Amino acid sequence: MVAFSIPAWTVVAGLVNGLGYGLLALGLVLIYRSNRVLNFAHGQLGVTSAVLLSKLVVDLGINYWPALVFVLIVAAVIGAGTELILRRLFDRPRLLVMVATIGLSQVLFLLTLAPFIRPKTAASAYPLPFHSGFTIGNGLAAHHFTGADVLTLIVAPLAALALAVFFARSPHGLAMRAMAENADSARLAGVWVRRTSTLAWVIAALLSAVTAILAAPAKGNGFVEVLGPDLLLRALAAALIGAMTSLPIAFAAGIGIGVFEQVMAWNVHSDPALQTIMFAVLIAALLVRVRGLRTGARDEERSSWRFGVAGRMAGAGGVEALRRQVGWAGVALAIGAAAVLPALVSQGRAFLLSRIFVFAVIAVSITVLTGWAGQLSLGHFGLVAVGAIVASRLAPHWPLPLVLMVAGLMSAAVAILVGLPALRIKGLYLAVSTLAFALLMQTAVLNTPCWKSPLFGFHACTGLPDPASQYIARPSIFGISLVSERAFAWFALAVLVVVLGIVRVWRDHGLARAFVAVRENEIGAAAMGIRVARTKLLAFALSGFLAGVAGVCFALVTQRFKADAFSASQSILVVSMVIIGGLGSVQGAVLGAVYLIGLPAAFGSGVTTQFATSGIGLLVFILYLPGGLAAVLTKLGDAVTGFLASPSEDVLPAADIVEVVTS
Amino acid sequence: MTGRAARLVIDDVRVSFGGVRALDGVSFAVEPGQIVGLIGPNGSGKTTLLDVVSGQLRPSSGRIVLDDEDLVDYLPADRSATGLVRSFQDCRLYPELSVEETVMVAFDGRRRTGVLSTTLRLPGARRAEAEKRDKVDGLLSSLGLTRFRRHQVAELSTGTRRVVDLACILAAEPRLLLLDEPTAGIAQREAEAFGPLLRRLHAVTGATILLVEHDVPLTVALCDRLVVMEAGRVVSAGPPQDVLEDPAAIAAYLGASHEALARSGAAATT
Repeated sequence: MVAFSIPAWTVVAGLVNGLGYGLLALGLVLIYRSNRVLNFAHGQLGVTSAVLLSKLVVDLGINYWPALVFVLIVAAVIGAGTELILRRLFDRPRLLVMVATIGLSQVLFLLTLAPFIRPKTAASAYPLPFHSGFTIGNGLAAHHFTGADVLTLIVAPLAALALAVFFARSPHGLAMRAMAENADSARLAGVWVRRTSTLAWVIAALLSAVTAILAAPAKGNGFVEVLGPDLLLRALAAALIGAMTSLPIAFAAGIGIGVFEQVMAWNVHSDPALQTIMFAVLIAALLVRVRGLRTGARDEERSSWRFGVAGRMAGAGGVEALRRQVGWAGVALAIGAAAVLPALVSQGRAFLLSRIFVFAVIAVSITVLTGWAGQLSLGHFGLVAVGAIVASRLAPHWPLPLVLMVAGLMSAAVAILVGLPALRIKGLYLAVSTLAFALLMQTAVLNTPCWKSPLFGFHACTGLPDPASQYIARPSIFGISLVSERAFAWFALAVLVVVLGIVRVWRDHGLARAFVAVRENEIGAAAMGIRVARTKLLAFALSGFLAGVAGVCFALVTQRFKADAFSASQSILVVSMVIIGGLGSVQGAVLGAVYLIGLPAAFGSGVTTQFATSGIGLLVFILYLPGGLAAVLTKLGDAVTGFLASPSEDVLPAADIVEVVTS
Repeated sequence: MTGRAARLVIDDVRVSFGGVRALDGVSFAVEPGQIVGLIGPNGSGKTTLLDVVSGQLRPSSGRIVLDDEDLVDYLPADRSATGLVRSFQDCRLYPELSVEETVMVAFDGRRRTGVLSTTLRLPGARRAEAEKRDKVDGLLSSLGLTRFRRHQVAELSTGTRRVVDLACILAAEPRLLLLDEPTAGIAQREAEAFGPLLRRLHAVTGATILLVEHDVPLTVALCDRLVVMEAGRVVSAGPPQDVLEDPAAIAAYLGASHEALARSGAAATT
């Protein structure tokens, strides 16, 4: 390791990146201030405009400046339209709105694929108003800055300045703050809430478009992923350092993070180590800032999902028993069908069935953590990865049931570590820290077979033995070979059924009602003697155990996999599953997996169909069917019960309870 | 299920929010088995004091002593284990749990549920769960809640929720009970029924009770002693009739007290 140094060019390069983070952070803070939403679609809001700019200038030969004006108008329209869609959700739990923005970002991504937006010649360079750059240093140490970098250095500060002037000179800044604190009071005080909210989203979309246009040249024309999760996380860290409220601090923090990252990259020479450092920065920002964030934002911490209230049969005993029988019959029917299916379909389709069963296990593990305990995890594939690592190292040598147990326990231990911040960080911020954890697993841990400490010569082998491409032969279980896809599908189904049985026991026989109680009313549960910290960590541990078990199956289904298979987008996909299925419902989680893995496969797998089913599915279900597929199932069960029940058994009227008690 | 009534000593408790002194040296004792009413205008620190006693809020100085134990360093769940139980003004409970499950949670707080034994459905865990269920069944039927057992708490009226809250309190076997405005948000007719109900609660549990209540007639009729607070201080304390005539109490809270006295007299004889 060389001595620590800070060459001038690293600072300038860091400044270029940092200005981008700062602009993104401004947009995140703006939306948070006006709607109390962490906007995961923020990056994607402006990407459509950036893609369209390339189409107009390169494909159609339109002059840069009028094209720029046009795409900024497009961004404003997208911003206003987004607000119009999300407005329906403003009285719902904030976590749910955040998940809705994830769905929205996927839909916006689909928009960039449309032929009237996407440029035909993907290989050509991204348009720039000028190309003159400059060079710092000479000889081998020289570093060239392109016209795109110059553009960023000029435009980003101007954009931030324009925003500052807008807030200083117009009454909208104050109106936005008032609205965020209490929309109803603001409305009574004369703030036109809808217009103010729309304005915030339009400004955010414009900021996003500027960011995307500035960032696009450096990425070539493959900029649909320009604003991926790693970029978003850096912007989030900056926004959090600004306590999600201060625009100047967030912008400055973005620049600081950019410079810090470049300087560290120059000195550390190792991407995993750099990612670990950036993760530490984010967690530190969260822990330091969390106190400031919690004051005045009490509502968002009461994360009751408020699902499943409607459509319950609160009837006489006979009907209730019949309804339960109908439910069991349905479950038996579904499991029976799933057991017969692998024998009927081709080997390829059996592979698909295995994938559905494995994803169903992961979705069920999210149901335990998010649906019951209310802790939103956007990094569940980090825990699945732990299981996969255990499988890759142990499956060839140990009997499979033992591997499953060990993987589950390891994953549970890691989950407890991930859950520790949950004792201090809540809701949205916990979700951010779990996302950061998943990114850390993907970029640092999986990619690094063994860590060694430079000072102590200490070795720790935590990653995949061969991160580039791992092959695992499927072992046998109880003397039965799992090599054929059919056999493996049955094995995966067996794991799923056992998991469903365990989860049923947790919910009906004691463990999980404390999870729900702590989610619904932490203070009340604590006053009744429930140990809140223990309960939350237990939820993480149980969920982690299931994720680890699923991780072994996940590794054995694909057999050949890379670290990329555990990306943040996979984590988001499984969260989409439980929301589409109906948050908190175990059957729903399974249905969600069938929908999100099975349906895209029916139309030919690919990112496009994946995003179409999950993105549009998320929005439709959150907006119009909050109970998810499980609610549909419940209604179906009620209808069957109603059909079977004799009409004489009617529902008891609700009586005034106090009279009953005191008489 | 009678527990031994506890003695509560609140000793020079101080709490500041920023520059505001929410509690400014509050001291009083609640003797075992007594019902003590805490009254005072809004913002005088009544709920803040309950929060300090039950552990939701840490005082900047002062002691909370239950019998001989100083509770200040205890977490809420640990205080609950000493027999200190409180109800909340909003009586929120757990909206998405059923009535039965809600009361089960109160038992969970008393007796830890084993992870492995529950997952494997070992006989011990089955028996513990069955015992809890029996106790819950008994409680629900004695409070007339049996028909609501599978209803979600969110579906209940505020009055019914308060009765479910009582069930939870009974399940927790209190030695000291803190009640924060149990009649808030329910109809007058239901509120009147609460006097006899609270008396029964006191008789059944045998617990010491500290009651925050705005309904002066109800408080006077129920309590052995009254404590009047204003601006974070105790301004008057003593038997109800003495406090009602104390000029300091009248100035702080009771106002032109003749009307209140007349009403409380009427209520006390019912």
